[in-house]
Amino acid sequence: MSNLTRTYGPFLTGLVLLLTGVWIIALIILPQVNLIDRAFVYVPRGGEAQQAALELERAQQRIATIDFDIRATEKEIAQAASGGGSAGAGGAPSPSNPFAPGAKIGSSNVVRPGMPTPGLAPPAAPPEQRLKTLETERAELQGQLGGLKERADRLKAEQQAATGYSLRNFTTMSGLHWRIFGMTLVYSFSVTVLCFLVCYPIAYAVAQTRSPERVALLMLGLVIPYAINELLRIFAWVMILANRGILNQLLDTLGILDLAQGEAVHWVASNGAVFCVMIYAYILFMVFPIYNTIETLDRNQIEAARDLGASTWRIHWRVVLPHAKPGIAVGSIMTFMLSAGSISVPGLVGPGLHPDWFSQIIYRNYFEAGNWNIGSAQALLLLVACTLFILAVMSLFRVSVREIAR
Amino acid sequence: MQGNEVALQDVSMRFGDFVAVHPTDLTIRGGEFFSILGPSGCGKTTILRMISGFLRPSTGRIRIGDGDVTDLGPNRRPTALIFQNLALFPLMTVWENVAFGLEARGVPKAERRRRAEELLELVALPGQADKMPAALSGGQRQRVAVARALAVEPAVLLLDEPLSALDLKLRQHMRAELKAIQRKTGITFVYITHDQGEALTMSDRVAVMNQGRIEQVAATEAIYNRPATPFVATFVGEHNVFRGRVVGVANGHARVETPAGRFVGVNADGLAEHDEAMLFVRPERIALAEGHPEIDNQLDAEVERRDLEGPFVNVFLRAGGRPVVMHLTNVGDAAGRLDGRQRIGFAAEDALVLRAGQLASE
Repeated sequence: MSNLTRTYGPFLTGLVLLLTGVWIIALIILPQVNLIDRAFVYVPRGGEAQQAALELERAQQRIATIDFDIRATEKEIAQAASGGGSAGAGGAPSPSNPFAPGAKIGSSNVVRPGMPTPGLAPPAAPPEQRLKTLETERAELQGQLGGLKERADRLKAEQQAATGYSLRNFTTMSGLHWRIFGMTLVYSFSVTVLCFLVCYPIAYAVAQTRSPERVALLMLGLVIPYAINELLRIFAWVMILANRGILNQLLDTLGILDLAQGEAVHWVASNGAVFCVMIYAYILFMVFPIYNTIETLDRNQIEAARDLGASTWRIHWRVVLPHAKPGIAVGSIMTFMLSAGSISVPGLVGPGLHPDWFSQIIYRNYFEAGNWNIGSAQALLLLVACTLFILAVMSLFRVSVREIAR
Repeated sequence: MQGNEVALQDVSMRFGDFVAVHPTDLTIRGGEFFSILGPSGCGKTTILRMISGFLRPSTGRIRIGDGDVTDLGPNRRPTALIFQNLALFPLMTVWENVAFGLEARGVPKAERRRRAEELLELVALPGQADKMPAALSGGQRQRVAVARALAVEPAVLLLDEPLSALDLKLRQHMRAELKAIQRKTGITFVYITHDQGEALTMSDRVAVMNQGRIEQVAATEAIYNRPATPFVATFVGEHNVFRGRVVGVANGHARVETPAGRFVGVNADGLAEHDEAMLFVRPERIALAEGHPEIDNQLDAEVERRDLEGPFVNVFLRAGGRPVVMHLTNVGDAAGRLDGRQRIGFAAEDALVLRAGQLASE
């Protein structure tokens, strides 16, 4: 600390510390705390309490409608008694006649979509009989009202008691989502392993290349695609893998399938396509750490192993791979985290055609269902899974954080 | 174990336009300690890498024992190489390092462990089997490297300046150890070094290389006492050089006219009169000649500096504008009082006349 002030002066040191503090608090601590907080707060949507409240409301509205109908029928009876045959021509609008002025206003004030439309009672029946039916129904509903209200209140109270910190965001997650969560981890792991299989030979070849120009060329070849926007890179692959894409057209040209006949391999409909694009998207994150560690390997060790009679396989297994372990660990961690959290690749490559990734579920909860709490819980789940993966990799490869940081 | 003969027939190596090793014939006898001595970049490591199989010669054949190994890879040759930096496997324990060659040959673990312990015993490293190489001292790592190479029971052990990283005391100790191990095992040792001391103390025979060519192959005494070329003469040990022209030859001796005077030396190259010549005298063969008229070659020289080396005194003189070095044994106080103009001399038998050529220091 005093060392810092001595080197950079109090103003610069203060500024750097301030920015670091703001960075840590605003970009790391606050979002995480918010995420964790949301994840453990259950906000009920739908469910029994909602249902009960809805039923209560419906009953009350039905009663209101019946009251209206009763009044209208009573008026009809009164008119019939006084005016004889000119019934319904003027006076109060009948709910039976939606086109009558006033009835529309009256009904639209009370009736909501999906509610039983008033005036469904058969108009043929005499008003006295209708009145009787309505009154019976009203009494019946009135009788139920007390029970409904009690139930709704109880459930609401229960719900209110339940809101606050709980594990319900996790415990109420559907089995399907758990399955997708598990499969996403499996997918990400597969991507990591495949990526390693692709990257290790590349990294080894580049690290063993002696001429600096060739190393530069190889590296350039790897880096250039990264100058392009990530979405464009993914769309490039979509163009290759689409039903009428480059790959299928190539197969068509080779005569393996006939696009004109509607034959096509549905590449994007499988997770294979997603894996392929992900490996391409994250290849550098695997290549560079491995390359960096293999680069530091003394070539004499490879030659010594060879001189002692070791096969190529054994040289890699006993000498190169153990040396490259920290790099492999770093590359695996990065690739796993990136693939588990990727939304753009599964979202753009054949969306809806291949099995869902958990990141897509989280996305939908945040931006389509608007349920941030469930989304936070799922995001937290993924975060925990990734953290466990890091720890597992570190203990498996017996590398410390310090080695990884190197 | 018995060492095999290594024979290079017309072997050369070129990298693009650069000729690292000119066509060379060389036979290393089975079971001998053979050194290849030369300055850096002379091609000695290239020869070693061709024998070990890491480089394929541009021309020529390499034979080890009765088999032609030119087309075999390093893992299929009966050789083992000890690298300059040892190249121990840092992530394996000492015994795993030693047993790596056996592991590659599919020897079961218990047997490997037993053999490793035996070899560690041989190189005087008992009880260190389970340590990591980083926990050992420089000399101990050296021994591990030797044990690792011996584990595969090679017919030829190739050593690429393995002692260069050690300090002087340890280096001298390891020289003796390597020599002892070579005697014990009877393996052919091919030792690469730029250090003439190492080559002279350990080897049975030495090849001196310069610029991709072998200048001389001979036993150590012959290399020191009867160098074949001006390069060998000046690269191995110290030599005073007098350039001149032959003015007379008789009885295997030649008289050379030099700026410092006329001297007689052994006419090793059979030079004739008027030939360009170089006359070489070891500093320890030069003596004070005052009152010794029997000394064949005498000259006057000015003392410039005296360095006490311990067992002897290094006296730097100047004669005829040329520097002359003389070693005086540190006995009495004759050397201590040496000053001013002195008469020095050397016997004709101690001077060597060679055809003029390239010197090591040029």
